[in-house]
Amino acid sequence: MSAVDYPVDEDEQTLLERIQDEPGPALKLLAVVVPLFAVEFGAVASLVMSLPWSAVGSALPGFLQGLAGALAGVGDALANLPTLLSRSVIDNSGYQLPSGEWVGTTLGLSPAVAWLLRVLLVYAYGFAWMAVGWWVYLVYRDNYRYADWAPVDDMVNRFRNHSWGLLGLAIIFAFVVLALFAPALGPTTVEANISDPYLHTVEYFDEEAGSVQEIYVGDANRDSQSRGQGGDNVGPLSYDQFGRFHPFGTLPSGKDLFTFMAAGARVSLFIGVLSLLIAGGIAVTFALATAYYKGLVDLGVVIASDSIQSLPQLLFIMLASFVLSGTWLANLYSGGVVLALLFGFTGWPGLWRAVRGPALQVSEREWIDAAKSFGQRPSVTMRKHMLPYVVGYLLIYASLTLGGVIIGVAGLSFLGLGINAPTPEWGRAVSAGQPYVPTQSWHISLIPGIMVVIVVTGFNALGDGIRDAIDPQSDVGTGQQDESAAAGGGA
Amino acid sequence: MAADANATGVDERRSSARQTQSDDVDAAESADDRLLEVENLRTVFHTERETIRAVDGVSFGIEEGETLGLVGESGSGKSVTARSIMGLVDDPGELLPGSSVRFDGRELTDLTEKGYESVRGSGIAMVFQDPLSTLNPVYTVGNQIEEALSLHRGLSGIDATEKAIELLEDVGIPDAARRVSEYPHEFSGGMRQRAVIAMALACDPDVLVCDEPTTALDVTIQAQILELLSDLQAEHGLSILFITHDMGVIAEVADRVAVMYAGEIVEQAPVVELYENPRHPYTRGLLRSIPSTQQGAERLETIAGEVPTPNKAATDCRFAPRCPEAFDACEEVHPVPVPVEEGAEDHTAACLLYPEDEPRKAAVDRHAAAGDEDSPESAGSTGGDSR
Ligand code: SF4
Repeated sequence: MSAVDYPVDEDEQTLLERIQDEPGPALKLLAVVVPLFAVEFGAVASLVMSLPWSAVGSALPGFLQGLAGALAGVGDALANLPTLLSRSVIDNSGYQLPSGEWVGTTLGLSPAVAWLLRVLLVYAYGFAWMAVGWWVYLVYRDNYRYADWAPVDDMVNRFRNHSWGLLGLAIIFAFVVLALFAPALGPTTVEANISDPYLHTVEYFDEEAGSVQEIYVGDANRDSQSRGQGGDNVGPLSYDQFGRFHPFGTLPSGKDLFTFMAAGARVSLFIGVLSLLIAGGIAVTFALATAYYKGLVDLGVVIASDSIQSLPQLLFIMLASFVLSGTWLANLYSGGVVLALLFGFTGWPGLWRAVRGPALQVSEREWIDAAKSFGQRPSVTMRKHMLPYVVGYLLIYASLTLGGVIIGVAGLSFLGLGINAPTPEWGRAVSAGQPYVPTQSWHISLIPGIMVVIVVTGFNALGDGIRDAIDPQSDVGTGQQDESAAAGGGA
Repeated sequence: MAADANATGVDERRSSARQTQSDDVDAAESADDRLLEVENLRTVFHTERETIRAVDGVSFGIEEGETLGLVGESGSGKSVTARSIMGLVDDPGELLPGSSVRFDGRELTDLTEKGYESVRGSGIAMVFQDPLSTLNPVYTVGNQIEEALSLHRGLSGIDATEKAIELLEDVGIPDAARRVSEYPHEFSGGMRQRAVIAMALACDPDVLVCDEPTTALDVTIQAQILELLSDLQAEHGLSILFITHDMGVIAEVADRVAVMYAGEIVEQAPVVELYENPRHPYTRGLLRSIPSTQQGAERLETIAGEVPTPNKAATDCRFAPRCPEAFDACEEVHPVPVPVEEGAEDHTAACLLYPEDEPRKAAVDRHAAAGDEDSPESAGSTGGDSR
């Protein structure tokens, strides 16, 4: 019997085989993905090179050091490759001659237009990746997937008909692109404008002297402050006297608010995602264990989660971050890591409660008993037979929780805790602009505040959309409409 | 009577298939040489209001190569019995102290979860009622059989796939080499149950517990699966505990039959004996309610009422409210299994009417005494043969 040559059913292999059988669509896909990746390859390389490699290098034994050095050289060279989205492709920094002509900007465009073009380019690039993601799904579904139909198809269809969820997706897409491409999106950079303004200069045309002058950014910032009534003000969509364009206006310190917001988005996203990875990991592990073992294990986790939930989360995080301030942990990523840890370790009970139900449900399914009945180990049973059914629910609540974390971080920064200055964080902008809300410098608080609201709403909408897509019965109110819409779409 | 027609069918089958075993049945009353021995099993479920005694003092044994049919209405505790044997009783359920499940001389009720893992599959494997929900819909059938193979035979990769295909062929799945990489939803109901059986066989078990394996299937498929099971049994020397509510199915597969009612075994006998000569009023009722092809359009009898859900130790006959032959003592004395008559050691019934050849008063006293003797431990055990 064993001598017969049977085809092997390993899933990966059959997928590979199926691609080999019909390489056309896959090659087309590759033909788009490779250039798309190539134009930003330098940026990825520089991200990789920005990790603390020197620490790794010095830990290596001697004979490897040379090799590591050579590798580092290659890495640096790659990191310096030109990229499509670097600031220099469309440069928006320059000065204006009295004739109205702009010098230094790309094609002599005005900084506002140059900046806008760059933003559009970046978003187009981000959108291209999203489209590629959708395309990959379609190609896989139509060309390479073994099954004609899978439950996920219905979920995708339901989500496509869920306008609220799609709105959420659009907002989150905008937010994520803002965070990922923050250095390219700002009219200036964090280093030049916010953290080291006295190490950078700008050129401007001094009308009194009648010539082009160079000035430290720090000094220039002092003349572009927004301080409401009686003070200077650089509002949204305006230039300051040094020919710098400020899409969102400036902070009371004269720094560019848009650059601040873009960098702050990165910090918020980092904290949100890291804390969710922690909280989600704990929540899923506990949910699987409690659903599998029930009884005492369940009781233990219930007690642990109740005790954590009985703490006022924000107050506790404030205390803890105060206690931890000054330690090495608090200096990682300007305090972002410690916040992520705190939000993660205090946030898992909520997620655990949310996925415990689905985990219990799947633990009652007969294939779990079947797995037990042929002696499968608990860890494998949980991972293989329960986890796939819990992940979707985790996604829903992760999305809803992320909004909460972003508000929390902003709130802490508003109070002067959380992210250390000068690393940008949205909450600090809200706080800085607080005295000027009723003045012409209203933008300082209002723009970040509104953005927090929009992003949090976006995460909630996305979570709603995913929930209705996964489980159409879950929401009676809107679920009904969605269901009929989904039925139409799925047919 | 309808039972006669069935009994003939039973005779034919038995004479062809397992003549040797039926000879052994009489001799094998001592508990020691049975492969699986369940004694005084009590499985209870604690709820907020009460404690449900789902299985209340069940005892039986299965010899090597034998099929024991466990039959009863839904809610009689058959499935809980199966789960108790497999060690799959979860909170809030528990086995009461004094319960014993011995497999191959090894006491299973004392085992830790870890210890049980070594018995499950390779010792005792289980086939569940609904093949669709027994297979995980997100993995291929082959993947799930290979999962069992890697656990019990250490096979992986191509070896495992080849073995999985071989097993699928053994259980009669055509074109197994292709179907091994299909998903459960691409299989028909009967094919799925065959795949589930292949999964159980992958563990190379000694005992197969089949919990209503044909209930979810239509009649022709049902017959094929039953045939498959008896072929596999002959081939692998399996012992089978076959659980069903269907007296017709039991007639076709079992060597011996235990009838369960409200958590207790009320009658136990070799299959022919049970069908030809049912003694317990409940068994008689069950047999009268089987549709019979030979007898034409005669009206079927049903047993009025439902199986009660016992929540305290029995002090009466649990069947009394539905029993057509109930008399005064039935309300006061809990019957224990006794031989139905002098010398019929392999045919026991838990009913105050037996032993039939004793005066009524003496029989009732005997039940009452057995109940008092070391209650509640002895109540409901197959005291007739072991005590
Ligand atoms: S003990 Fe009485 S009530 Fe119970 S089955 Fe026998 S005759 Fe019927």
